[in-house]
Amino acid sequence: MTNYLIRRIIQMFFVVFLAALFTYFLFNISPGGPLAGIQQQQRRITREDLARLRAQYELDFYWPFRFSRWLIGLPNGPIVIAGQERFTNLAVGCYLRRDEQVVEQDGQMVVIPAGCDQFVFLSDIPTLHPEVRSSKGIFRGDFGQSTVIRAGRPVWGEMMTRLPATLELMITSVLLSFLFGIPIGIYSAIKQYSKFDYTFTTVSFIGAAMPTFFFGLMMILAFTVLPNMLQEQFPWLPKLPPGTRVAVRPYAVASWLPRVTPGTPLDRFLHLIMPVAVLTFFNMATWSRFVRSSMLEVMRQDYVRTARAKGLVERTVIIKHALRNALIPFVTIAVLTIPGFFAGAIITETVFAWPGMGRLYFEALTRSDWNIALAFIFITAVLTVIATLLGDILYTVVDPRIKYT
Amino acid sequence: MTSVAQPVILNDAAKDEKQESQIRVIFRRFRKHKMAVISLILITIIFVSSLLAPVIAPFERDAIDLSSSIRPAPPGTVDSQGRVHYLGIDHLGRDLFTRVLYAARVSMSIAILVVLISETFGAFLGALAGYYGGITDTLISRVIEFMLTIPTLPILLILSAILLRRDVVIPLPGFVNRFLSAMLLAPEREAQKVVMLVFILVLFGWLGAARLMRGMALSLSKQDFVEALRATGASDARIIFRHIIPNGIAPILVNASLALGGVIVAESALSFLGLGVQDPTPTWGNMLSTSQSYMFQNPWLPLVPGVFLVIVSIGFNFIGDGLRDALDPRLKR
Repeated sequence: MTNYLIRRIIQMFFVVFLAALFTYFLFNISPGGPLAGIQQQQRRITREDLARLRAQYELDFYWPFRFSRWLIGLPNGPIVIAGQERFTNLAVGCYLRRDEQVVEQDGQMVVIPAGCDQFVFLSDIPTLHPEVRSSKGIFRGDFGQSTVIRAGRPVWGEMMTRLPATLELMITSVLLSFLFGIPIGIYSAIKQYSKFDYTFTTVSFIGAAMPTFFFGLMMILAFTVLPNMLQEQFPWLPKLPPGTRVAVRPYAVASWLPRVTPGTPLDRFLHLIMPVAVLTFFNMATWSRFVRSSMLEVMRQDYVRTARAKGLVERTVIIKHALRNALIPFVTIAVLTIPGFFAGAIITETVFAWPGMGRLYFEALTRSDWNIALAFIFITAVLTVIATLLGDILYTVVDPRIKYT
Repeated sequence: MTSVAQPVILNDAAKDEKQESQIRVIFRRFRKHKMAVISLILITIIFVSSLLAPVIAPFERDAIDLSSSIRPAPPGTVDSQGRVHYLGIDHLGRDLFTRVLYAARVSMSIAILVVLISETFGAFLGALAGYYGGITDTLISRVIEFMLTIPTLPILLILSAILLRRDVVIPLPGFVNRFLSAMLLAPEREAQKVVMLVFILVLFGWLGAARLMRGMALSLSKQDFVEALRATGASDARIIFRHIIPNGIAPILVNASLALGGVIVAESALSFLGLGVQDPTPTWGNMLSTSQSYMFQNPWLPLVPGVFLVIVSIGFNFIGDGLRDALDPRLKR
């Protein structure tokens, strides 16, 4: 077990490192980024200004060095070996780039880097990149600064302002899905091929296959748009707020209800209903199917037959003998929800304009705020890897027959 | 040589006869799954009408109706020449029925291409891993494990944000481009972007098939008939392509039909978020995305592409379910 754990943890580091390298590389081969189009916007910008801006975003480093600075905060100056500064003349980047304008075949002018007028040497780093501006590396908990969405502010702070919204959404929906999904799955298994089973198997089938964004739009259509359009004929129809987390102005849910004040628990509850419903429907569908099949598997086992033959009440057989074993595989699925508590739900949050992590990531991608996107991917990857390991360990705890070597 | 060849021929003939009846058995079992049959019929209708899009569609794909001043206009609007817009007009004045048909063509082509490529590739790699074992297996399995740990949706979003919005194009021979543009009924420039999306979706699409085929190949390669084949001097390639893959094809088929639904949803999710196929090439995803801005005044607008999307995605899942029941030997009746 110890050997197994050590091997797994080494593998985890490797996986996370590869994922980080892969995403960092992707962002670096892509054009765009914080300074894209700045020369078109401000025509009087000089080469020196541009170089200073590039240095501020660390774009003057070659990408392997930039990656290493992003990951572990090194190199942050000449490497000191045995009291002596080494490699002071190693060029790690290009401060002043020489650009060349080239006319392409289709007649378009394209600027391509043609050389370097002033390199960044290891010994230049402390002067060009003072400690205050540079990040200490994500392994030391510094995710750098946002470049577009909240330019100049730390990424971590921005994520912390978004996390509560995501936690609120995800925790509520996961709890509700457990609450409904497990009993539905168990009951469908006990009453296999009954009306209840058929209904819920079909419902969960549809729930798992339904695209969440379309379901979200349908919710908005049914509970916001239609009541709005039918307001004249049916003023008593309640309508729900279609997006964001809290309202700005007081609003009426229905004519027969008092107006809702923004920021109150009721207001937040009303905003939560639709996104939570979408996520719950999806999770509940997948989980109840899972519990059903695992329960059916267990009910076929010999020891369940033995328990029945012993003359135990059906209720005891199901709860004490079958259920506990049926929920074993479910542990792994439940653990895998952990990364979601951080990452949120990208599509659902976008549909409902929910100010959570998923939407932050999506904004960061479309607006080229690489540091935020990278931090999101990195933390999600770490949490996924930890959750997978935790699931495997929990498996041995709940089922002692399984042993890892 | 003849002494070896003869039993093979006999064997093949016997197999053919058996397969014939087996297919009938599978078909009979499949028919019992009512939802699967209904889904198959509906999807076939949508697929055939998307193939006939240029014939059925009353308008040109990007033609703008200048006679109507109301945009988007509801279903049944009649233009100045008396032609009916069966499903209405979108915000730019284009006929929605026409666009939905063309979108079906694009979405389904993408799904079929992605699933074909990724299931073939996955099955091949899985068979290699399972048959050879050792280093080949370790290497392939580790890659699969690694790909499964990284969160898929965020990476798909990055890839499409970077590759699709920046006009990165995979160089393909001219005839492939022409074929694709004929298949999608779209100009070659648009077809090239679709190829990029197919590439991105294949990148994560082959994992399921590879894992399934690896498991099948692992158990098959230990069975006596493979040993017998080796003894008769059959080459590894022959064993893999003629015996391992055909024997393990059933779960791959089920996986493929589920994957068709999954890919259609994934593609429309990307297009919905604005990172997949871009307007003017219509897909259900980007039609839904534009409808989102107009749905407060025109609630029917998201329903037009949405209903097709839901039918197809749920339908493929039902078909997969029906196929699983039909192919599962444990349910032999």
